[in-house]
Amino acid sequence: MLALQILVNGLLLGGLYVLIAQSLNLIFGVMGVVNLAHGAFIVVAGLFTYWFASSTGINPLAVLPFVFIVMALVGAGLQPLLIEPLMKMGRSKAELLSLMVTFGLDYVLVELALQVWGSSFVSVPYLQSSWKLAGLDFSQALVVTGMFAALVSALLYWWLNRTDSGKSLLAASQSETGAICCGIDVKRVRMLAFALGVALAAAAGVLVIIVEALAPQTADDLTLLAFVIIALGGLGSYVGVAVAALLLGVAQSITGYFVGGNAEYVLPYVLLILVMVALPGRFRRA
Amino acid sequence: MSEVDPRWGADAVPALVVENVTTRIGPLTILDGLSLELRAGEVVTVLGANGAGKTTLLRTIAGLYPPRQGHIRLFGESIEGRPAHEITRAGIGHVPSGRELFPRLSVADHLELGGRLSPPARRAELRARMLAMFPVLGRRLGQRAGTLSGGEQQMLAIARALMTDPRVLLLDEPSTGLAPKIVLSVFQTFPMLREQGVSILLAEQSLTLGLTAADRAYVVDQGRIVLSGAAAQLAEDHRVVDTYLGR
Ligand SMILES: Nc1ncnc2c1ncn2[C@@H]1O[C@H](COP(=O)(O)OP(=O)(O)O)[C@@H](O)[C@H]1O
Ligand SMILES: [Mg+2]
Repeated sequence: MLALQILVNGLLLGGLYVLIAQSLNLIFGVMGVVNLAHGAFIVVAGLFTYWFASSTGINPLAVLPFVFIVMALVGAGLQPLLIEPLMKMGRSKAELLSLMVTFGLDYVLVELALQVWGSSFVSVPYLQSSWKLAGLDFSQALVVTGMFAALVSALLYWWLNRTDSGKSLLAASQSETGAICCGIDVKRVRMLAFALGVALAAAAGVLVIIVEALAPQTADDLTLLAFVIIALGGLGSYVGVAVAALLLGVAQSITGYFVGGNAEYVLPYVLLILVMVALPGRFRRA
Repeated sequence: MSEVDPRWGADAVPALVVENVTTRIGPLTILDGLSLELRAGEVVTVLGANGAGKTTLLRTIAGLYPPRQGHIRLFGESIEGRPAHEITRAGIGHVPSGRELFPRLSVADHLELGGRLSPPARRAELRARMLAMFPVLGRRLGQRAGTLSGGEQQMLAIARALMTDPRVLLLDEPSTGLAPKIVLSVFQTFPMLREQGVSILLAEQSLTLGLTAADRAYVVDQGRIVLSGAAAQLAEDHRVVDTYLGR
């Protein structure tokens, strides 16, 4: 029973991780850009939700569609300004320069968040109790956010594999020249991918702040968490990343129970080091 | 083979005109004032040794490199300098060097992506035509492109380009990595394409392969046209092999 409880908690947490990682994966797959501002988008969306929900009393989940749309527009505005100019410089140069540009963006967003909301950790007081079922304890916050995240990820997966615009995005990420040969406007696909990646990160932020406390300075931990997951799952692979996210959730749940303390927060870093040492090939695009 | 198919008048607007085109990559001048012409319904081969500039020529026509100088016209309409995806939409199908398939997408997805700009009825017609022309693709519709054999991949690259309903098809060394028998089966589709009003510009290194399927040919060396003529005439010209194709 205890094993099952740990597994369930881990999978629910993993569901949230799928969303956190898939949004980074989307941008990386299409542009070869590791968006170092990823965690900053999550945190800004989360803190905004905290501020909005606690000052208006509105259900934090109701804020999600609004945050999603606004952040998609922010992403669509930033991409042509910051990322697109780098794309003409060739892949390897673009990869390096985009790290610098998105690091700069990360810095700006985190500083802005510190100015607006300060540096204390906050969490939305919502769904604090738990459901009991078949002898298991289900944290309401984890269940609801895990379900939401799974739903958004499933929608993303459906969109990628079943719609014309989604398939165009997959095509452009697998061969840019091939996509052009189909008459696909790759520049527009890149803007769409960035907008969607930022919006999904923001959606994750709304859910994360319901489950755990966030502060602006958490941003880089979240970026790293997402990066570890896509590195483990295979950069650019959507199924691989989903599996890796769920596994990491379970692994953290196990470590949290048996080792305790802060061990579960150290785990992603340990895994990152292990992956880098054992499988350096993982850091190439799938 | 006659130089021009009688169904198309010699004085009709050419399918493709490349006029004095210069392409630079970084500091290097790769195409140097190159001119050629493809008449409607023709199959024309660009012959040249490795590094002569064939791929650069095809990529320039397809809009993947903007020419520094010169003009490119598709049925009289100027296309140089336009974004590459718009050139595809204007009617240039490109089977690029290295095929550039989407390894994790299915055969059916490739056909769908190629045909995404055509109205549904036309798309269905093109798709049926592709499956008739390449029956093996019909048996692999659900398979990922990365798992196909070399010959099947080449056929898929051609089918994807034809799904865009092009008026001119650019083929970059479709024989690469294929057994001679398979190359011939690819070339055997040319008469069918000609029937459908597709004119073909083929880049090849091999003299025999390059000339079997062609009406006319150009020999390119260091980014310039050095010889041109009817395929039969060039096949006899010892300079082609001795001076330009190496060996
Ligand atoms: N991206 C590139 N950067 C630098 N040089 C290139 C590039 N692409 C082609 N070249 C050079 O241009 C010349 C022609 O190449 P290419 O068009 O590929 O010839 P071909 O297709 O006839 O073998 C070669 O000397 C090649 O080294
Ligand atoms: Mg070539």
